[in-house]
Amino acid sequence: MDGSWPVRARDLWFAYRGQQWVLRGVSLEVPAGAFLAIMGPSGAGKSTLLRLLAGLLRPQRGSVEVLGQPLGDGASPPSRIGYIPQQLGLVRNLSALENVLMGALGRLRGPTPYLGLFPRREGERALALLEALGIGHKAGEKAFQLSGGERQRVAIARVLMQGPQVVLADELVSDLDLPRAVEVLALLRRLGEAQGATFVVNLHDLSLVQEFADLALVLREGQVAYRGPARSVTWTELEGVPS
Amino acid sequence: MRWQLVGKGDLLLWLAGLLLLSLALQHLGFFDAGRLGRGAANLVTFARDAVPPDLGVLPLAGRALWETVQMAFAGTLLGFLLALPLAFLGTRSLSPLPLVLLARLLVAATRTVPALLWAVLFVIVVGLGPLAGTLGLALYTVGYLGKLYAELFEGVDPEVVEALRGVGASRLHLARFTLWPESANAVVSQLLFMLEYNVRASSILGFAGAGGIGFYVNIYLQTLEYTRLATLLLLILALTMAMDALSAWLRGRYLLASR
Repeated sequence: MDGSWPVRARDLWFAYRGQQWVLRGVSLEVPAGAFLAIMGPSGAGKSTLLRLLAGLLRPQRGSVEVLGQPLGDGASPPSRIGYIPQQLGLVRNLSALENVLMGALGRLRGPTPYLGLFPRREGERALALLEALGIGHKAGEKAFQLSGGERQRVAIARVLMQGPQVVLADELVSDLDLPRAVEVLALLRRLGEAQGATFVVNLHDLSLVQEFADLALVLREGQVAYRGPARSVTWTELEGVPS
Repeated sequence: MRWQLVGKGDLLLWLAGLLLLSLALQHLGFFDAGRLGRGAANLVTFARDAVPPDLGVLPLAGRALWETVQMAFAGTLLGFLLALPLAFLGTRSLSPLPLVLLARLLVAATRTVPALLWAVLFVIVVGLGPLAGTLGLALYTVGYLGKLYAELFEGVDPEVVEALRGVGASRLHLARFTLWPESANAVVSQLLFMLEYNVRASSILGFAGAGGIGFYVNIYLQTLEYTRLATLLLLILALTMAMDALSAWLRGRYLLASR
């Protein structure tokens, strides 16, 4: 594995069945431990790019390599890639704690999880993550009973439960006001960094990008419009990006 | 006053529907006034002959009714246990395409045959009695629940499935921890509906010799013992109403309390 570049994509072309190209020749490389923000207007291909990096879609052309492993060949993505989808993907009828425990499924063997029996250390770890995110007291509540902000924290806890080396998050804070978004991203970054993770996150807000990201990639109409340090991104580069 | 016609297409559809209905009713003899008049007179005669219900058959009818309930309960649960794995196999977001097609073919094949015909087939295979009826109900249940459950599972938010697939969850994990909890309420609701349906269906399986109260209904019909028949019909009515009430209570108590 090439540990210095945990996420690499080369010349990605992708179109959903019967539709126009969403991505046209996108390439990127993210160094270990870095935080890459993907930016761009709606429909620029940000979510599609993230799903390709998560191994959930297969590009028509080009290649994706995460943690040294080629993706998109039909095999399941490695469990060391943590992915938070746009709508978070929580199981509504499971509790917050149970949702976090789902992050451990990739490393659990045997029939006990099917009976609802998880190793005690996994339960303690899941609860510790919820407490670190400030919602330990909500552990027993069903996901559908939680507020939007609490659900986001549960999704972060689930992804951290995986012990991921790469965290991919799609529009994680787009529904939050700025102070709340800062809080959530700070938690994600702090807890993820403690695990040595690399981040690729779709973000809209330039101030958040400059605060949290090391690198930025701006997509426009499926192509790379900017690639470079996050602090150098200005509204000029982001022309067409809603504020 | 001036009028404006809104939804002209809808009006035409309604008129076409009514015309087709009239043609069908005419073909089926609904406009034969003489026949309908004789039918009404026969109904009055039947009602007069059936009153008062003969309560002397209650012990026999009670045992037959209990057998009917057991057939419906066992047939529904056996069918449910078979339908659930078939539905998981028939879910496109979970299973490989060849398995999906095979599972759906099996389910569709069992659904093609009505419960009464399944019961007749099982009477041939295992002989007269409630075992044949129970097996018939079970297969009929597989056909319906297998299809309904596969559709329920496919309706689960694909992002939830995707998110768990992303953590390295296996297909069995996905079935257990996404499809099942996300659909559990609807699964139980359909199961209760199927049980209600099977209670009603099992009341007539006895016509084919497949056990239950239908066996005696058939005998009293053939021997024109309408007072005894009336007792059985009242018992079936009471059972159906009790099942509906139980089902409504279970839904209110357990299903509406969660989402």
